[in-house]
Amino acid sequence: MTSAYTKTRRTLAVVAGTAAFALVLAGCAAGGSSSSDGTVAKTLTIGTTDKVTTLDPAGSYDNGSFAVQNQVFPFLYNTPYGSSDVEPDIAESGDFTSPTEFTVKLKPGLKFANGNALTSSDVKFTFDRDLKIADGNGPSSLLYNLASVAAPDDTTVVFTLKTANDQVFKQILSSPAGPIVDEDVFPADKLATDDEIVKGNAFAGQYTITSYTFNTLIGYKANPDYQGVLGKAKTDVVNVKYYTSQSNLKLDIQQGNIDVAFRSLSPTDISSLESDKKVTVYHGPGGEIRYFVFNFETQPFGTKTADADPAKALAVRQAAADLIDRDALSKNVYKGTYSPLYSYVPDGLTGATTVLKSLYGDKKGGPDADAAKATLEAAGITTPVKLDLQYNTDHYGESSSDEYAAIKSQLEATGLFTVNLQSTEYVQYSKDRKAGVYSVFQLGWFPDYSDADNYLTPFFYNPTDTEAFIINHYDDPAVDKLILEQGVTSDAKARAKIIEEIQAKVAAQLPTIPMLQGDQVAVAVKGVEGVKDTLDASFKFRYAALSKVG
Amino acid sequence: MASTSLAPKRSIWQRIPVVHQLRQSVGLQRGMLVAGLVLVAIFLLTAIFAPLLAPYGFSQLKGDDGDFPTQQAPSSAHLLGTTVGGYDVLSRVIWGTQTAFLVIVVAIILSIFIGVFLGLVSGYLGGWLDRILVVVADAVYAFPSLLLAIVISIVISGGQSGLWAGVTSAAVSITVVFIPQYFRVIRAETLRIKAEAYVESAKVIGSNRSRIMFRHVLRNATRTLPLIFTLNASEAILTLAGLGFLGFGIEPTAAAEWGYDLHKAISDVTSGIWWTALFPGLAIVLVVLGITLVGESLNDLADPRLRTRRRAIGSLPPAGDVTVIPGGTLDEVGNIDQLEARP
Amino acid sequence: MTTTSTEVGTPVAPPTQTKTEKKRGGGLGRYIVIRFLLIIPTVFILVTLVFLLMRTIGDPISAALGGKLNAAQLQERIHAAGYDRPVLVQYFEYLGQIFTGNFGNTISDNRPITEVLLTYGGATLELAFYALIVAFIVGIPLGMLAAYLRDRWPDAVLRVLAILFYATPVFFAGLILQLIFGVWLDVLPIAGRGTTNTELQMQLLPNPTGIYLIDAFRIGDPQIIGDVLAHAVLPGVALGLLTAGVFLRLVRTNVIGTLSTDYVDAARSRGVGEFRLVTKHAYKPALIPIITVIGLQIALLLSGAVLTETTFEWKGLGFMLAQYLSARDFVAVQGIVALLAVIVAITNFIVDIIAAAIDPRVRY
Repeated sequence: MTSAYTKTRRTLAVVAGTAAFALVLAGCAAGGSSSSDGTVAKTLTIGTTDKVTTLDPAGSYDNGSFAVQNQVFPFLYNTPYGSSDVEPDIAESGDFTSPTEFTVKLKPGLKFANGNALTSSDVKFTFDRDLKIADGNGPSSLLYNLASVAAPDDTTVVFTLKTANDQVFKQILSSPAGPIVDEDVFPADKLATDDEIVKGNAFAGQYTITSYTFNTLIGYKANPDYQGVLGKAKTDVVNVKYYTSQSNLKLDIQQGNIDVAFRSLSPTDISSLESDKKVTVYHGPGGEIRYFVFNFETQPFGTKTADADPAKALAVRQAAADLIDRDALSKNVYKGTYSPLYSYVPDGLTGATTVLKSLYGDKKGGPDADAAKATLEAAGITTPVKLDLQYNTDHYGESSSDEYAAIKSQLEATGLFTVNLQSTEYVQYSKDRKAGVYSVFQLGWFPDYSDADNYLTPFFYNPTDTEAFIINHYDDPAVDKLILEQGVTSDAKARAKIIEEIQAKVAAQLPTIPMLQGDQVAVAVKGVEGVKDTLDASFKFRYAALSKVG
Repeated sequence: MASTSLAPKRSIWQRIPVVHQLRQSVGLQRGMLVAGLVLVAIFLLTAIFAPLLAPYGFSQLKGDDGDFPTQQAPSSAHLLGTTVGGYDVLSRVIWGTQTAFLVIVVAIILSIFIGVFLGLVSGYLGGWLDRILVVVADAVYAFPSLLLAIVISIVISGGQSGLWAGVTSAAVSITVVFIPQYFRVIRAETLRIKAEAYVESAKVIGSNRSRIMFRHVLRNATRTLPLIFTLNASEAILTLAGLGFLGFGIEPTAAAEWGYDLHKAISDVTSGIWWTALFPGLAIVLVVLGITLVGESLNDLADPRLRTRRRAIGSLPPAGDVTVIPGGTLDEVGNIDQLEARP
Repeated sequence: MTTTSTEVGTPVAPPTQTKTEKKRGGGLGRYIVIRFLLIIPTVFILVTLVFLLMRTIGDPISAALGGKLNAAQLQERIHAAGYDRPVLVQYFEYLGQIFTGNFGNTISDNRPITEVLLTYGGATLELAFYALIVAFIVGIPLGMLAAYLRDRWPDAVLRVLAILFYATPVFFAGLILQLIFGVWLDVLPIAGRGTTNTELQMQLLPNPTGIYLIDAFRIGDPQIIGDVLAHAVLPGVALGLLTAGVFLRLVRTNVIGTLSTDYVDAARSRGVGEFRLVTKHAYKPALIPIITVIGLQIALLLSGAVLTETTFEWKGLGFMLAQYLSARDFVAVQGIVALLAVIVAITNFIVDIIAAAIDPRVRY
């Protein structure tokens, strides 16, 4: 077992560990269904079906691992509760001291939980290490704009950037590339194992990890030394249980074996829990989006097909957009846990619009078969149009198959399309997608940081030397230019305007059709407070906001 | 040992394996065999007449009066209710027989051809090829079959989950697991017959040895093979279902598959929606039960000690029934036992 | 031990048994040596097969970040990790590592492979243990009963029951159990290996064995022991019944077989009752094949419990193997498969030796 507890800890750690032990025991004695005496419970148990890959921030770039790192590692910048914009976290301030130099001042006297000082050299170490290891599964690609890091004194860090006035860099400091690690615990040139990290007690976030069984149970204890923007944790001890099946998670929250369930419950589970009086279902804005992509080369009338015709190809995309009934998908397939998405930047982020609503379908958000028919006829296309639609079942959620069966049914409803639906296992799917095998295919996105940029650059920024990750051969120099521009526009209003313009331009071309935006859904038993506070547009679920009364 | 006794010729009808055994059986044994045959017959008939029996298509989401409701309890419009995606449960259960039947056919055909061929070659030629094949067969046997199925489904179909991709990957992976079984039966039979006097004599008079081998081996093995068939068939269904349950199943618009439907039913169960899980599950259980009942009965009837004693004493066992025992039937029955563990 | 039953007993031929060419002689010692040496190529072949298969179905980096990075970034990382080198080069590098005893860390979650094997091996072993107990308690007495009442209706019922155990996919059984115990009755835990409290106590235990029952006894809290056992009931029963079906059949077949042997006939002629014949006389010789089957069952229980482990959230080798497979974690998959191959090969070896010791005819 990967239990973190060993007898060989340093004295200090042993004392801390013993204290934690006592607290854990005390918590357990009262845990589960505690008495209702109006006091705040010391222990809270959270359940999730997330999967952790590794605690080391340099070696993981996935939601499950980041969810843990978020609780226990400090960030220079972070998103306060209820906001989508970043503020200094353990930093005091951050400014562009020159166009390419972003200087961050740390708060004085910062410490890791193991007693080591947290200084600018740890920060420099963190980012140098990330770039040096550049682990296959790591987030180093997010640091695309970082040239070098310097630590002139204990509380000053200077980031030298490749392009000037990067407005997104602060957001990146709050992303999976942002957790600051202890240079005395983490090796400089390779990943630390989870055991090393937990034993080294190299934490400085709102919580520390006191006990750790890989993907089974993590024991957290509030970190009294945390001085960042999020404030102290409300509950002293948090245990997080990892489930492999959604239905088991659902049963346990229903029976009160856990206090909070966060990510992921199936739509069926959620709708059934909503009518359960013992629990409360909370919905918050979600950063996850679902969409499908047209490959401009291989879609009907695409540039590499025998009957290539850009105008017809566009008409096909527009007709598809006319026919999609997002409300039906949201209600029938997802039971309201996903909301219709009418633009490329999801609702809740600065600059988001609903541009697709006014352009396609009945112009009110609903589908319109006549509009689709007219579009196809105007372009001189004989119907039905044959569409090969690909989706994946093991990466973008269990309900994908229902979702795409419904989409197929919607597209075929009036005989304008015949859809050949296929699904493929994820790794092969990624490979085939990149090789251009699929002409129309499903994708999903979970943001690295909560900024509109993260929904535009990775998708539509296609200058000659690099390629967006969706690889659909869409290329619009005007959009490229605007994307670059929003990245360096420091005036918030002006930037939002550019972001809106980009969405409008992309919406006219429809390289992808956005469909749904996922809510963050948390379920808590009665008496748990603070869930709403952390279900915000930061898309980070902070355990520290939760408390349980009674 | 092998008494290739010259029994009176039987009519073709009597020599068809199952019919012969049915006539041979009595009492409860006959009851079990008949029950199994009835289940299998229902299964086959359902598969053949699925288009007539099923009220809707397997991927139909809307009827004459609009979209099907989702997760609706059994009603007159949907006798067994509807799924989370809005499919009609009854229709998917019925159409699912076709998929199950396909996977059985493909799995058995592949296994027989490859397994029989390798067993013949290995047993006949012997030497280093034989040794290598035996070791490889053992190695393959050690690999967890379901995981093998996952890997194979990815290799074969590029991870695509169309009807044929799903069926082939389940069939091929089951084949890989079953080849060692057929291989061993045929090989043991080949080794035994190779040493038989009549093959020696055939050699002496210069007739085509391999043809003789092939004929004799196959003739003797036909009594053990049906037993393996039935297991092979059951395992094919269960593997397909297992693949579907683990999410490597067949795309629901491509075909109906029970394992996939069960997989989609997981979250229904905790919400008290029982009909989406119960019926596809029962379908699997009943089909496997039917096939296994037939297999077990055939096994008993092939073994004189397990066969229920007949009232009439005089009737000699027909040719060949005894011949297999020393080298064949029982050994293989044992091997089949090992296979049954499919946790 | 008597060998009179081996006519009937041979049902348990392990995979390697029938390959023996019976005309070759040789002592038991020689047989053991040869049989033992055969383990090496078996494991070697399997590991090689797995290595090659894994290389044909994608790489761990695409598995983790295929939906995040663009093609160039992915290619760069794949190149840096060396997954784009010729397969043979990678293969020999891998063999080199194995021979130097360096099994490495898993790719997807950076854990020492030895730790992975120990942790999940313990869990799987524990589950197999519970399952075997259930299989013994259910399978053997019922098998004897069926033999005793052969060809009467309880025999038929028992046999259909045995087939039902086999015919019910464990995930379907799991769903039904979940419905009964989780939704309707709420008596038994339906998933996992312990409550949060139990898991916490386990974490605090120094040098845990990974086998919860042992660890629970080391903690010494009766509540925890009870909790661990309660969690073991449903998965143990689900997996155990599957094996029980095999045992039931096997015991029935063999007892019926021995009932017709001379030695039992002799006892019968001495006036020993039919019930006593089954429980005393026919039972013992019938056990020999059962013992050998148990060996194989253990191997299969260890290697193949993916569905049971997935259904009941029992994180063992089979479950993790499926996880690592979808993450394309070469190192982890190869490590786990190699361990399984060794276990299966050694069990086969032991079974073969037992069979050979009992019946000299099966030797080389």
